[in-house]
Amino acid sequence: MDQNSLHRVRNKALGIAHGVGLFLAMLVICLPGIWIVLSSLRPTVEIMAKPPVWIPQHLSLDAYVAMFSGVGKGGIPVLDYFRNSLIISVTSTVIAIAIGMAGGYAFARYRFRAKSAMFLGLMLTRTVPGIALSLPLFFVFARLGIIDTHFGLILVYVALNVPFTIWLIDGFFRQVPKDLAEAAQIDGCTRWQAFWQVEFPLAGPGIASAGIFAFLTSWNEFALASQLTRSINSKTLPVGLLDYTAEFTIDWRGMCALAVVMIIPALTLTFIVQKHLVGGLTSGAVKG
Amino acid sequence: MKGWRPSPPLLLLLPAVIVLAAVVVLPLLLSLYSSFTPFRLTKPETLWVFIGARNYVNILTNRDFWIAFARTVVLLTVALNLEMLIGLGLALLVEKASRGQRVLRTIMMFPMMFSPILVGFQFKFMFNDNIGLVNNALQALGLTDRAIPWLIDGNLAFIAILTAEIWSSTSVFAILILAGLLAMPREPVEAARVDGCTPWQTFRYVTWPFIMPFAFIAMTIRSLDVARAYDIVKIMTDGGPAGRTELVWTLVARTAYSDARMGLANAMAYFSILLSILFTVYFYRKLAAARTQIAAEW
Repeated sequence: MDQNSLHRVRNKALGIAHGVGLFLAMLVICLPGIWIVLSSLRPTVEIMAKPPVWIPQHLSLDAYVAMFSGVGKGGIPVLDYFRNSLIISVTSTVIAIAIGMAGGYAFARYRFRAKSAMFLGLMLTRTVPGIALSLPLFFVFARLGIIDTHFGLILVYVALNVPFTIWLIDGFFRQVPKDLAEAAQIDGCTRWQAFWQVEFPLAGPGIASAGIFAFLTSWNEFALASQLTRSINSKTLPVGLLDYTAEFTIDWRGMCALAVVMIIPALTLTFIVQKHLVGGLTSGAVKG
Repeated sequence: MKGWRPSPPLLLLLPAVIVLAAVVVLPLLLSLYSSFTPFRLTKPETLWVFIGARNYVNILTNRDFWIAFARTVVLLTVALNLEMLIGLGLALLVEKASRGQRVLRTIMMFPMMFSPILVGFQFKFMFNDNIGLVNNALQALGLTDRAIPWLIDGNLAFIAILTAEIWSSTSVFAILILAGLLAMPREPVEAARVDGCTPWQTFRYVTWPFIMPFAFIAMTIRSLDVARAYDIVKIMTDGGPAGRTELVWTLVARTAYSDARMGLANAMAYFSILLSILFTVYFYRKLAAARTQIAAEW
């Protein structure tokens, strides 16, 4: 074999190895999700079977039907949880974006004293572990009587989302050249008009993805919600997941079905914004 | 006050500062105060008894707390390093792919959408000693003939938790490092190859310095949220068996809500807050340094 064909064989082998590696990596990433969807469609007997049944024999939507059929019939108040989750996540996201836009704009467009210290300070409020924050909040909220209300959780999630939203939106505003707004101002816009007519539309997609990130954080949060909610008045889906665990047993099939219900909105939204999200996180790094 | 106008950035930042002060800073001051009292939820009057640093002394001399603390640090260190390495590998794999990069990138983001509590639950399901996918697969392949007690043995449970943690967070690293790789100019790599660098040298001295800031962004983002391991552990083992997977956060939750010893729990919580802040400040400074380096070289 001459040098050339040896080289070709080696390249081919490397290509195959690369493909196999890629396939295995993607399999590991996808498998848990696939397994959950599959388990939600199988009867409990099959999930519990020993030796395991690998090929599903009976697929059905029974778990979903049971889940939505209400309390007492093997279901949980999933519609209430879903409604709570939706109200709390959407409201807190909208408020967090409004506050984050103001803050992000300040960081992107103005110079002021102690700017980077301020930025770090805002970020540090985000590092406080949810469980550590839940202790004083539990006490304060109990005193104020806002435990187990939408308002209480919305307030907490706004605070949770503001720092990261500011970071992202700061990055998106930096991508919009300063000159554009200045040109608009020279043409007779006020700063306020220049912002809404020029800078906001350009940073729009980025802001939307920051919003979706905030939404996902609220949608998925558990540590705080588990302590600050009590009943169907305000319980969110992640807390509701625990309804399927009893003292020693877990209804795996029901839990899988609820997991699928939880993941679908998150999945859809992330697909929509994935491109902008990465751009927003990295823009600060490249431009400094 | 006439004639005094607050500067625009101050005004713009005011709402954020107010919300964070009300929801984060003030409650934390309250919890700082209560960490100096023997406060119990069941006895509200104990909030006014001042006992000095006795809670802190209790914690510092408590073996269980130190073990949980050390375990948390070990878990974070191992997890962050492995996530970084695997994320880097994944990013390189995807970058090399000639077709379907968009699809691959989307799949790569998949774990990011999973709520930590869902991650905990799905890995609890998969690592279940009786019906879990892992044991079933191992037995079907004939690698073991008995059920491995993944979540019952302390060390194995640690591995299971680590796996869940890595699965859920590697994608943050992979995606950001991939963004760095894609943003990188081609010329330096080609120049290095022409100059006779081996692939390893090219990676080590050309590619790596370039993607480092991106890795640090990922690290910073991750360190903002290290405590989400709480959700995972809470579901998978709840600190068990017999406290052998107890992390600082589960210990805080247990002390506060099960034992109702709020004062003591708040004191512990301060250690966990300190830990998070240390991680974040450390990576943030690295990030700032890497940024200025890149800015200087470009």
